Amino acid sequence: MASRNTIYTPLTLAVLGLVVGPIGIAVFVLGFGLGDSPCVLCWAQRTGMVLIALTGLFVLRFGPRPRYIGLAVLLAGFGLYMGLRHSSLHLWRDVGQGFSAEILGAHTYTWSMFIYWASVVMMGVLLLMLKDGEAAREARRLRPLERLTLWLFLAAAAGNAVQAFASTGPPPYMGQGDPVRFSFNPANWVWSLEEWTPSPVSLRGRWAIEKPDVALATIDPSASPLANVPVLPAARRAALSLPLDGPITDLAYDATSDRFLVTTEKGIYITDGSFGRVLRHTVVDTGFSVDLARFAAGAFLAGDTVMAVSENKSFVILRENDAADAAANYRYFLASFDRFDEVSRSRLTTVRAKMMYVMSAAFDPATESVYTVTVPNARMKRLVVSRFDRRDMTLSEEFTPALAPGSGLAFKSEKGSLDSFYVSGAAFAGGKLYVVSAAFGTLLTIDPQARTVVAAHAIPGLERPVGLAIKGSEAFIVDAAGGLTIVPLAP
Amino acid sequence: MWHDPAVEFLNFVLIFTAGWLVLRRPERERLAFGLLVTSSLLMAALFLIGARGSILPGLNY
Repeated sequence: MASRNTIYTPLTLAVLGLVVGPIGIAVFVLGFGLGDSPCVLCWAQRTGMVLIALTGLFVLRFGPRPRYIGLAVLLAGFGLYMGLRHSSLHLWRDVGQGFSAEILGAHTYTWSMFIYWASVVMMGVLLLMLKDGEAAREARRLRPLERLTLWLFLAAAAGNAVQAFASTGPPPYMGQGDPVRFSFNPANWVWSLEEWTPSPVSLRGRWAIEKPDVALATIDPSASPLANVPVLPAARRAALSLPLDGPITDLAYDATSDRFLVTTEKGIYITDGSFGRVLRHTVVDTGFSVDLARFAAGAFLAGDTVMAVSENKSFVILRENDAADAAANYRYFLASFDRFDEVSRSRLTTVRAKMMYVMSAAFDPATESVYTVTVPNARMKRLVVSRFDRRDMTLSEEFTPALAPGSGLAFKSEKGSLDSFYVSGAAFAGGKLYVVSAAFGTLLTIDPQARTVVAAHAIPGLERPVGLAIKGSEAFIVDAAGGLTIVPLAP
Repeated sequence: MWHDPAVEFLNFVLIFTAGWLVLRRPERERLAFGLLVTSSLLMAALFLIGARGSILPGLNY
């Protein structure tokens, strides 16, 4: 076992490294030298490091008492949380992007995670070297290096106090979310009370998005933001009677094979052109590998290739294969293992649609493009059309459609928008993207070239549709229970 | 309305004082440790105030 002196030397060096390194550089080089000014979160992260160093000094002076160890563990644990919480504001941005100063290619707030982690590791090492019952009863006499470390610590603490006074001010002022450059000139000091302003407390902030559900949509057509929407009566109605594993989530049609694709939350079913029988199906293990959650949409990518898109914009592509290897496919499917091969399973990445779920997908074979359309949520109300290149499934275009001039469409008020439409089904035909909205029971026709809505039709009796397919000159709209509404496409 | 006068400057004054006691007045260990704990709680409070819009890291869970 190590002697007490063996413990204090590495501890002294660790505290010295912390004081001279991140703490000293932050205040004397970045702050006083380069004018860097910490934000309110950076201040807390830096303060936590200073407190860990101070706890180490307590150990040097009074021995490794349990309460010092406990406090150091708490501080390092909270420091790791602070580092992750602060870095999360920026980690997802593009390469090189960040906030404030960069050190060795990484921004300061991300370095704090490493420093707190290193502190935890160092504490573990020191505890391993500690003898049982070694807590000191009397204050130790500090050795020269330990005394120097304490003086340097006091200098760093004083330097931080000076910078904090200039940057954040005396009580009750405190740090700012977006501070100005540090200066010794009082004329440039900004003292703010902005962080004291009462505001709601949230656990997940803007990432708390409710799951999409057509039941959330307002079905009353009179509540539509569009004025004088022409009515498109159903040509006929029917009820699907298919052996499915759950409620229907979408519909698609392939003209070359005259077959429909029906999706459920996990199931993919291909039927004949009259919905008479299921020709082949499988149930996908949506929890394996990429989390596919619930399928919300489906589309034919080719006569023998189908795609199912989940509400979280993850997707799976399957190819029909009558000789599929059932044993090899066990990992992909939960039922009917020998009817499809899994081609790929991945995720669609969006920009404008990032914080919104989707319930629709359509494929345009002419441009080899997959389209999705967002559904609004409590935090984000925006109708975003996203186009992905089939060849690499990468976002190639995003737009929020406007009303086409000359279409005769208009909003009821000047502040009207398409953002409240709850698009739950989509299909591509004749160069147009057709989408059905569970809100207001409306069929919208979008010209993707002009990025405009060229037509809108209210369909009486349409309640909470979940899918749309176009066969010939008719739109097939389905609800979760299999209720089918067939309307003629407007010329 | 907030009335807590906690700020970064005050926190570093507490830290400096605690460090000074460790160096020059080791017999005041209880006071120094009390300042250390107080400063730690202040630091945590200041961070949580700044992060209250999203207590958990803003990531895709």
